[in-house]
Amino acid sequence: MTIRHLAALVLASLLVVSCGKDEQKKKAFEVKFPFAEYGEAYAAKPDFARLEHDHPLSVDDLYRITPEVLSLLEQEQVDQIYARLSSGPIPEGPYEGDLFFPKGGSGKLRLSEIAGGGLKGLLVNVAGKKLDAIGEILWKGKVFYRKERLLRNRIEDLSPLKRVGLVEDGGSANPLQKIEVGGKDQWLLFPARLYCGQSLLDGRRESIIIDYAFTDRLPGYRRMPDMMAGRDGFAIRDEIRMVRPGFYLGRAYIDRSFVVNFVLWNDEVAKAAEASFRSSGEAPEDCWSGTQARRVLTAAG
Amino acid sequence: MKRAILVLGFAMVWLGVLVPWPTQARAQGQDAAPGWVQAKGYPRVAGEPVIHEQDIPYYEACAREGLNPSECAGRLIWFKATAGNERFHTYVFQQRVGVMIDWFRVLRSDQRPDRFAAWGAINDPSCCTPGDPGCPAKSLDETYGLDWCPGDEELLKYVGKSGYRDPACDFRDAPLKADDVHGPADQRQTACDLRFGTSTGALGIRKFPNPRFDPDRWVEVNGQLGSWAGYGARIAAAGGAHEAARSLLWDGSIEPPFLIGTSCGSCHIAFDPLNPPADPARPRWENIKGLIGNQYTRISEIMVSGMGSNTLEWQMFAHARPGTTDTSAIPNDQVNNPGTINALINIARRPVFAGESVLKWRKLTSCEGQDPGNCWCEPDRQGKCWSKGLKDETVHHILKGGEDSIGATEAIQRVYFNIGSCSEQCWVNHLTDLRVLDPQQRGFGQTPFDIGQCRRDCPNFRAIEDRLANILDFFLSREATATDLRAAREHELQSFNTRASYSDADLIDDLEREFGAGAVARGAEVFGATCARCHSSQPEAAAGQTANLDFHRVDEASGLRVDWLGNDRPTPVSEVGTFRCRALHANHMAGHVWQEYGSETLRAQPPDPNIAEPADGGRGYYRNISLLNLWAHAPFMHNNAIGPEICGKPANAANDFYAMRPRYVDGSNIRLLPPDKQPGCVPYDPSVRGRYALYKQSMEDLLYPDRRIPKVTLLNDDVTLRVGPRLWDGTDKETLLGFQLTIPATIDGRGVTAGTIGNFRHKDFVVDLVQARFKPDEAEARLVKRLGSEEGKAVLADLKAIASEVRDSPNGLVEALKSRPHLVKQVYSSCFAEIENAGHRFGEDLPDADKKALIAFLATL
Repeated sequence: MTIRHLAALVLASLLVVSCGKDEQKKKAFEVKFPFAEYGEAYAAKPDFARLEHDHPLSVDDLYRITPEVLSLLEQEQVDQIYARLSSGPIPEGPYEGDLFFPKGGSGKLRLSEIAGGGLKGLLVNVAGKKLDAIGEILWKGKVFYRKERLLRNRIEDLSPLKRVGLVEDGGSANPLQKIEVGGKDQWLLFPARLYCGQSLLDGRRESIIIDYAFTDRLPGYRRMPDMMAGRDGFAIRDEIRMVRPGFYLGRAYIDRSFVVNFVLWNDEVAKAAEASFRSSGEAPEDCWSGTQARRVLTAAG
Repeated sequence: MKRAILVLGFAMVWLGVLVPWPTQARAQGQDAAPGWVQAKGYPRVAGEPVIHEQDIPYYEACAREGLNPSECAGRLIWFKATAGNERFHTYVFQQRVGVMIDWFRVLRSDQRPDRFAAWGAINDPSCCTPGDPGCPAKSLDETYGLDWCPGDEELLKYVGKSGYRDPACDFRDAPLKADDVHGPADQRQTACDLRFGTSTGALGIRKFPNPRFDPDRWVEVNGQLGSWAGYGARIAAAGGAHEAARSLLWDGSIEPPFLIGTSCGSCHIAFDPLNPPADPARPRWENIKGLIGNQYTRISEIMVSGMGSNTLEWQMFAHARPGTTDTSAIPNDQVNNPGTINALINIARRPVFAGESVLKWRKLTSCEGQDPGNCWCEPDRQGKCWSKGLKDETVHHILKGGEDSIGATEAIQRVYFNIGSCSEQCWVNHLTDLRVLDPQQRGFGQTPFDIGQCRRDCPNFRAIEDRLANILDFFLSREATATDLRAAREHELQSFNTRASYSDADLIDDLEREFGAGAVARGAEVFGATCARCHSSQPEAAAGQTANLDFHRVDEASGLRVDWLGNDRPTPVSEVGTFRCRALHANHMAGHVWQEYGSETLRAQPPDPNIAEPADGGRGYYRNISLLNLWAHAPFMHNNAIGPEICGKPANAANDFYAMRPRYVDGSNIRLLPPDKQPGCVPYDPSVRGRYALYKQSMEDLLYPDRRIPKVTLLNDDVTLRVGPRLWDGTDKETLLGFQLTIPATIDGRGVTAGTIGNFRHKDFVVDLVQARFKPDEAEARLVKRLGSEEGKAVLADLKAIASEVRDSPNGLVEALKSRPHLVKQVYSSCFAEIENAGHRFGEDLPDADKKALIAFLATL
């Protein structure tokens, strides 16, 4: 056996172990978490209203949800969680973020493949690199300006965008904006509107919408790269709902087609509100929360 | 003097005497009576106090029509209740469905005189344009550019604020029915959830103050409070003119001053054929009826008024003729099928069908011992329960194919879903999303919504459901009584001479002068022999025994004509031969969105063996409709296609929808006739003479089918459905990610119908295309099963070739489909009928004299 073969074997073993651990984590979560049964076909998915009525979530359930667990779940399971959330308050300040791709029938694809409906091989894929580069940025850190109903994306490293020619020098008239988060400088790009609006998955209550369609009308807009997220670019529209204070689950759409899930979190907000939320299961709601009774079960009942 | 007259009028209203409504006087620019809604008590109509000024003409109408409290309550709900759909027409349709309504374009007060001609919308007689003499509002800024209407003195205070108390909260409920299972205590849902708001100035379209409105942002966008111009202004796409322009209507962060809702009346309120307005743009209340259906409405164009004509959505919606609408366009069963708003006439005589198998919810007082999944009691009520089960019932057949078939009240209930009520709580999650192509994802196809869930979760549903008996009573009321030509002519004569009369004999004399001696009597014989088999509700007619039938006989108890002039039985569409797409409507099939409103009997109907399209699940039929008052309801057929085209000729050319889509084509190549050969359209004329003239022309078209010039609604532009994003980044000419399906406006020199878009089952096509490449065996098995061995294999070969062409050529799908039109127009089409005014050739072989006689006789019905 050569060193190369040995290395390959070790790597394969690590992958198996890693996959096995993930599967165990997923199963451990599934055992205790209330999901409704579902099948593969669209018609075999449960109605959200019935799901919520028959399987309300408890505060404990909400605190069991983590970014890691979410990334291991089938897309239908993520959808079942999302549908049982409400928008919560429109966030304020910086949030960390990460994205995870839909799992299920289509397997894990690059964003550029998903955006084409997952029809690999039938695509005209000339813009794929640009989209993949943007995808690595848009659903990472964000800053919410609640009062102004605006949002900007935080970017530590501009090099992926520069590699695909998407950073334009605005000169002194429109310099790149920066903030400091956790002692690190971060660039602010891709401004978006924030508002309460329709979820494209679950109409029973509103979500918080992060809408880039008219990004060119927002303060600090730089044509490149910001327009890539706007109506003449990828037409990106995100929606988020609160899992618990300081932690949101999101869905991203490109030109109204769902492409990727993401999470946003702020540990300070989470810590400050945890005791209150654990005891009451209640948080402020900025958006229309519908008319179906939403019960978040607490230990006190 | 004028003031004295108005004071007298005011006193007469207090005394319960019907007088012209002072607000109408204001709206028409006459003198006004300030302080009309006085502090001490409320004005009375027919002895009853009326809390809201806006309700007075409604109660006056109830008195005029002789409606009892239940019928009157039902009428008011029918005219005003949105049941919460203002969220649908402001947020859901725009953001979730992706279709923009430019409400200002439709409702702007400075174009009130043009509103009927453009949109077929009927102006509310009580409303006025700010600044007009007598109008309480003096500037458009006060009303945010819309009409001022009664109740706005209160409503406008709440634009941008919460706390508005809906006038429906003061709704005067009729006494609960003595036989109501949930009685005798009144446990109805609060009337506040009926949601009335105030009129927008167009009857049936209601407004509500938007608490999220930000006046500063509005002025920033529009320049002033009284305009929505900046909101709806087109913003060109960076990619060029072939890309659809957008507008700030797409910006969900901009909240308009009003949420706009619609009542059932938005389509059903119409001009009274007996008493038409002198000027359709300035009707009076006595010209208005609630049940015969607006024959001029362009509700489909209203629904896409914020879209460019080169968008998929505009092409899908904006092809309905005046007076028709595609009620499947929002649920989207991928069957293009606009149909008329049903005229509701003499409903008490409408045929019913016993022994039909109906699975539905029924009232009961307890769920004890019942399956909790099929029985539910409303919390905090005493014994207000419903149970779902299968029983044989006696039901009506409603809708064009009789699809609504589980009961009359449920058919009314479903109308509220049609207009958008409870959309968020109950049914948008069950619709098809055009962009979902993965059969494993929600939104790939429809799923049935659950009436029981809707009852539980949507208070507006309960508010309507608890009052359905009142609405049904309204349907059965005198307001739905037939409006005969004789009576219309008499009424017209009486406008000049109040003592004038016009008898049946006078009508027959006039008709025989026009159509020949003995025409009416001969026409009755011809009708009996040729038409009554389908168009009579008398049992003898169905059996072919029509010799001595009296089609005019009146039922003494009800005062209505005994014969409903239609038997409502289903006839296979291939037998009728009319444009068949409506008969292929799929929403009531098992597994589809309105499954729970179709009976099992309906779904058990066998497919029509003489049509090639899929027609399972009870589809493929038209019910035999009523010919009551045919003189007032031309043009004919479910799509208003037989007879002349009618149009409004608005002053604002941008709203001249007929000019955008003339319909007459060369039947050999389905291309538009040149302008000098187009017959043109007949301007709207709701007068007695206008209706009668249109009736005669339409009858000629009906009885001489060979003379009909074929009509087809054509695509007027190539239309592209994009799946996945497009990108124009200023560096490449155009780059595309994902793929697009373009339906070209012509294929091989033949025009392509607008319906081709709505009928193209693009999802099935994409699934087969992908499988042809990656799982060809599965694709072949499916195609052979559906199309037969030879055609299935040929289609698979086409798909394999397309997959290869697309891989090698950007935008290759467009050319690939152009060279294989049968895929778009047949193999993957839900309906490939083209000629919209074909069929119903019954009677074409009659001698000319008999045709004239038939025209004369039918005018008497």
